Amino acid sequence: MSDVIVEFRNATKLFRDVPAFRDVNFTLMRGEVHALLGENGAGKSTLTKVLAGLYPLSSGDMIVEGKLRSFASPADALAHGVAMVFQETNLVPSMTVAQNLFLSQENFFNRLRGINIKAQQQLQRLSFHVDPTALVSSLGAAKKQMVEIARAVQHNARIFIFDEPTATLTPEEKQHFFALMERLKAEGHSVIFISHALEEALEVADRISILRDGALVATDQSSNFTRDRIVQAMVGRQLKEELYGQTALRKGRPPGTKVLALENVSMGRAVRSATLSVFSGQVTGMFGLVGAGRTEMMKIAAGVLKRDFFHGGRVKLNGRNVRFSVPRKAVNHGIAYITEDRKLDGIFDTMGIAENIFFGRIAKGSNPASVISMSQVRREAAGWIERLNIRTIRSSAKVVELSGGNQQKVVIAKSLIQAPQLVIFDEPTRGVDVGAISEIHDIIQKLAEAGAAVVVISSYLPEILAISDRVLVARQGRIVEEMAIEEATEEKIMYAAVH
Amino acid sequence: MSAAEQQTGARGPTIRERLLQSQEGIVFLLAVVAFLAFSILLPSFLSSGNLLVLVRSVSILGILALGMALVVIARGIDVSMIAVMVVSVSWAFVITRAGYPFELALLIGASFAMLAGIMIGTLIAFGEVPPIFATLAAGSVIYGTGRTFFFTLEMQNVPPDTEWFRLIGQGNVFGIPVTVVAFALLCVVVQLVLRRTRFGWMTYAMGNNPNTARVSGLPTRPMIVAQYASTALIAYVAGLILASSAAAINARLFNSTMIYDILLVVVLGGIGLNGGHGSVRNVILGTVFVGILLNGMTIMNIDYTIQNLVKGVVLLLAIVVDSLVNPRDEQTSQQGDL
Repeated sequence: MSDVIVEFRNATKLFRDVPAFRDVNFTLMRGEVHALLGENGAGKSTLTKVLAGLYPLSSGDMIVEGKLRSFASPADALAHGVAMVFQETNLVPSMTVAQNLFLSQENFFNRLRGINIKAQQQLQRLSFHVDPTALVSSLGAAKKQMVEIARAVQHNARIFIFDEPTATLTPEEKQHFFALMERLKAEGHSVIFISHALEEALEVADRISILRDGALVATDQSSNFTRDRIVQAMVGRQLKEELYGQTALRKGRPPGTKVLALENVSMGRAVRSATLSVFSGQVTGMFGLVGAGRTEMMKIAAGVLKRDFFHGGRVKLNGRNVRFSVPRKAVNHGIAYITEDRKLDGIFDTMGIAENIFFGRIAKGSNPASVISMSQVRREAAGWIERLNIRTIRSSAKVVELSGGNQQKVVIAKSLIQAPQLVIFDEPTRGVDVGAISEIHDIIQKLAEAGAAVVVISSYLPEILAISDRVLVARQGRIVEEMAIEEATEEKIMYAAVH
Repeated sequence: MSAAEQQTGARGPTIRERLLQSQEGIVFLLAVVAFLAFSILLPSFLSSGNLLVLVRSVSILGILALGMALVVIARGIDVSMIAVMVVSVSWAFVITRAGYPFELALLIGASFAMLAGIMIGTLIAFGEVPPIFATLAAGSVIYGTGRTFFFTLEMQNVPPDTEWFRLIGQGNVFGIPVTVVAFALLCVVVQLVLRRTRFGWMTYAMGNNPNTARVSGLPTRPMIVAQYASTALIAYVAGLILASSAAAINARLFNSTMIYDILLVVVLGGIGLNGGHGSVRNVILGTVFVGILLNGMTIMNIDYTIQNLVKGVVLLLAIVVDSLVNPRDEQTSQQGDL
């Protein structure tokens, strides 16, 4: 419990000049469980991915077991004793546990019995109660993690990284998992685990480090932390005050009519009996950490995702039950969902701005065969380009050539051209240049002023506080807290979002 | 898509686009070279009789390729075209021989083709079967159904007393074969549909990014059905012209390499298999080149097997070049789609 096994010195990782984390000094001791906490985008995952060989550092040093290292790949990291266990496990579901354990270590000829015996020995040594002949597809999430860990041990791993290991586990499975970490510790291995669950971290970790906006703000023995101290360390920020500074004095707009209501909506494990309302004439902010199910709830409302047919709960639009099986039906009812991932399902990248915007009009039209008037396309596009201040060098530029902010404005225009009554913005300023952020916020405010019901999903607390009139907090597929903007603070929201 | 670009005349000078243009340029040059070489080396190539045969056979290939282009632009593929073509046309002829009026029989044939297209489209849109497998299997089913229930003879002659029908394949308008006129006409129609109608725009949108198309609220599923139905109908038209010029339709075409010739035309012309770009111009270019190649090889009396080898190699090269020039976006590609 004394010697350092991993050390980051002034480590910085840039993605296209944007720092994921900077000047981080982090140490991991032999035989300790180290919890890494922070908001979405604070840099925790990136930090561990550097250690696991997925990215190189931009500057600074990474020292593993006393030697300066830079891993070229996860396989390289594993060869040096670092194993990362991902949320979705990397096992082959159609093979048995034993076969998975010895994957990539097979002899030219394999005797199944020999492998099974070796696997059994390995699992017993770790006291994992998993049948080596069972198919991986028949195992629960915790057992899969056991297999994954056993495989890492099999590869002589000494440093284990878990990224949100407990997010998909049931309470019982969680206890198994914690026992498992204890066992790894007892064997002298080191564990880094990333979590959003503060109680877990306080309970099982020896030390806790907290990252905020890419900087390591606190590292200490977990016994020296309290829940309040962690929350404060996670949210207390001074960055971007000028952009979000005016929040404290703002008064929310009063709610108009109830436009959208979700009642006990469920979908798989992502959304579990969520209930919420959205009113016209105001902005409803939705906050939640990764895996809280915010996006899924709204995607169900917009018909992008289909919910469980029998137990899916009810979605009401203006008081009437609706069930949208495809986005088109929701669009025709005046719902616009503006995606969090433009490239994936927001833009037609090699088409022009005008065409992209006009597809919003086409989508809401009824007659698919009718002729398109090019002058109308250009006229409407020119109007939206001016209204949303979309900046481009050439009017004929393809959307892929625009900056992130302008791409986002094109996606917004494509939806607003349909004059929707309910607009859902999913992470509206993700990957958007700083200048465009306030412009997009203005667009959102004007929409609400004009009487539309607006939902903004964001992982960035200052953004939620800056633009919402009402704040909903999601956790584990439910809405757990609702507050008016006047009473909302970063601490309160974060307190509700973590568990 | 470049509808707006055509208006302003400004073209984005991206590398990929330059390559695309040069791909078109290369194919065009190859076509010219092949034409000149054959003209010089093969005395019979430039004879009016041969040129007539050339443009006629090429027109039918071109019409089929127009249909194929429609689904390929929307990120689909239809390898059941030949099956639809031979079965619907043969059936129309059989019905006529059984005593129905010829015109009615033709309508029934058209309905069958449409129905087949709708069925395939439904399978792809609602059953979410990858297009290549859906059409491959559906092609066999359609052909099998035709041979089992509709007709048993491979060769179906054009019914007697249908003089006007023969004119389609054999007549001339102002000295131009009707076949060529039909191809030209269809080219114009398809081009207008693609560039100026909602249907066409949505087709490009679905090829460009199917996820965006869906989330934006475009009717992607009905569109898929409509696309395959249109393609089937175009295949039927091509089949009628083919039957008219040969005075019969041979069901064995289903077992020939014709479908690969069509794909060859589409890919070689520059319509990427990952959808979203290319237009009628690419179809014409591909048609001309493939037509010259096939005709030249036939005149040279090259063995059929070797012809297939040449075609196969060219198709393979074209697909490789296509996937290099138009790499499929990793983010939007899904396992199993084509």
